[in-house]
Amino acid sequence: MIGQFERREKPIDPVEKPRDTGGPEKPDTDTSRDKLLKRMRKVDPKQSERYRQRTGE
Amino acid sequence: MRPGHLFGLETEYGLLIHNPEVGIPPEMLVHQVRDHLFEQHKVGLIDRHHRAHDEPPGNGGFLLNGGRFYIDMGHIEYATPECTGLSEMVAFDRAGDVLLHQTLVDMGLSEHASFIKNNIDYETGATFGAHENYLVSRDFPFTERGLGRLVPFLVTRQVFTGAGRLGANFVPEGYMVLGDPEFPKIPFQISQRTDHIVSDFYQWVQFNRAIINTRDEPLADPGRYRRIHLLLGDSNLSEYATALKVGTTALVLDLIHEGVAPDVAILDPVNALKLISRDPERRWEICLEDGKPITALEVQRDYLDAGKKYLSGQSDDIDWTLKAWEETLNDLETGDSEKLVGRVDWASKLWLLEGFMAEEKLTWDDPWLKSLDLEYHNLDPERGLYFGLEAEGKMSRRTTLESIQQAMKMPPVETRAAGRAMLLRKLMKDPAPYMFNWTSVYIEGQHLSMVDPFQTYLKEAKVFLKTVNLL
Repeated sequence: MIGQFERREKPIDPVEKPRDTGGPEKPDTDTSRDKLLKRMRKVDPKQSERYRQRTGE
Repeated sequence: MRPGHLFGLETEYGLLIHNPEVGIPPEMLVHQVRDHLFEQHKVGLIDRHHRAHDEPPGNGGFLLNGGRFYIDMGHIEYATPECTGLSEMVAFDRAGDVLLHQTLVDMGLSEHASFIKNNIDYETGATFGAHENYLVSRDFPFTERGLGRLVPFLVTRQVFTGAGRLGANFVPEGYMVLGDPEFPKIPFQISQRTDHIVSDFYQWVQFNRAIINTRDEPLADPGRYRRIHLLLGDSNLSEYATALKVGTTALVLDLIHEGVAPDVAILDPVNALKLISRDPERRWEICLEDGKPITALEVQRDYLDAGKKYLSGQSDDIDWTLKAWEETLNDLETGDSEKLVGRVDWASKLWLLEGFMAEEKLTWDDPWLKSLDLEYHNLDPERGLYFGLEAEGKMSRRTTLESIQQAMKMPPVETRAAGRAMLLRKLMKDPAPYMFNWTSVYIEGQHLSMVDPFQTYLKEAKVFLKTVNLL
């Protein structure tokens, strides 16, 4: 199982593709940043030092 | 004849180890994640054949959603299936993200590691890609003159496609600098990949990354189609930016095919890419070949105007793209990047970082900001800053939870991914020797050609299954 996204029995043929909703709505950017700041404060200040990747394409 | 739109994305993911004491090196963990995906989650069928010199048996495989997971240059990479709609494509792009994160959760490793959907690291100067693929017909003007009309658009589209980063990488991998030059200080630039683009046209993808990749590998009938393969773009978290990136690029390819694309000649496009990305004033002024100044937004306006004139009303996606493009350019023209929060990744990231800097009294050279930049791209919904914005309702969406869930396990309905997925599903139930490629499937030594990406091949697949005694 994949966490909350459990696989279900499904038909062999593909189902209807996701519908376009006519485009996203503009968000309200004036709401409080408190929750976001709280999330940001939890970030390990040194984690980027551990992020060493191989170069790709 | 100009075909309809068909596109796909390929993403190379980074892997951040939170707790090195767990003792699993990142390069080993990506293999374990891949194996878990195929062996435990049963997302598809692992390859049993050599696909290429760097893709031995077991390196990856096709998925029940028609896409593909594989290991490439040490990164786990996800290719979406062939898509024909923008919302559909965004859903399939996000399906890969969710599958990877949920696999870490399922393996009990989400506290120890996270997949990062970005394109750089700050420690080694490495870069890894977010590639775009657009199908065009064989009579598309795949010449320096024809593709030359695409270059100014690609150089300037970063104003809404960039994912943003701190600082700059002045020496792309594979290059060296003689002497001891002093590089300018760049607090923040709007694109991650532009530092690593060193050519305008080139056929290879590493060390000599070009604005336009020219290799001729259509992954379709070579007599009818070509594939425009782009590797200069950033990985977008914003669904709006992903849709706008692909929508505008597909639209500009249409303009070129119709012979009505603007004739704009930018002086030194590779340098112009960097000038735009690194401009601290975000005025984005560059030069035309005749020496006249022009801004990135003016170049984009030229393409937008041509799109409105020649392509308006041809499809819902085109009309959405034209409207969103114009709104985005209008907002960028105000110079107030906060207007783009929720739609453009670099603006959303900058807004978060500047808010945090003000709150914590940090300066741009504080190393904490690099870690926060990374966290914007963290695919863990409980950690990632993009997901924090999404949870606060600040991100414009093109998908729903349901459409992403569907895209994790079902293919698009209008392309050959449908037939491919049907055959995969059957083989997972009734095993038989197989070999899957983008353009063909072999079962029991029998061959089904799937060279037209616009066909579903569902009927042909059923006949094929009867031929090999699986139906």
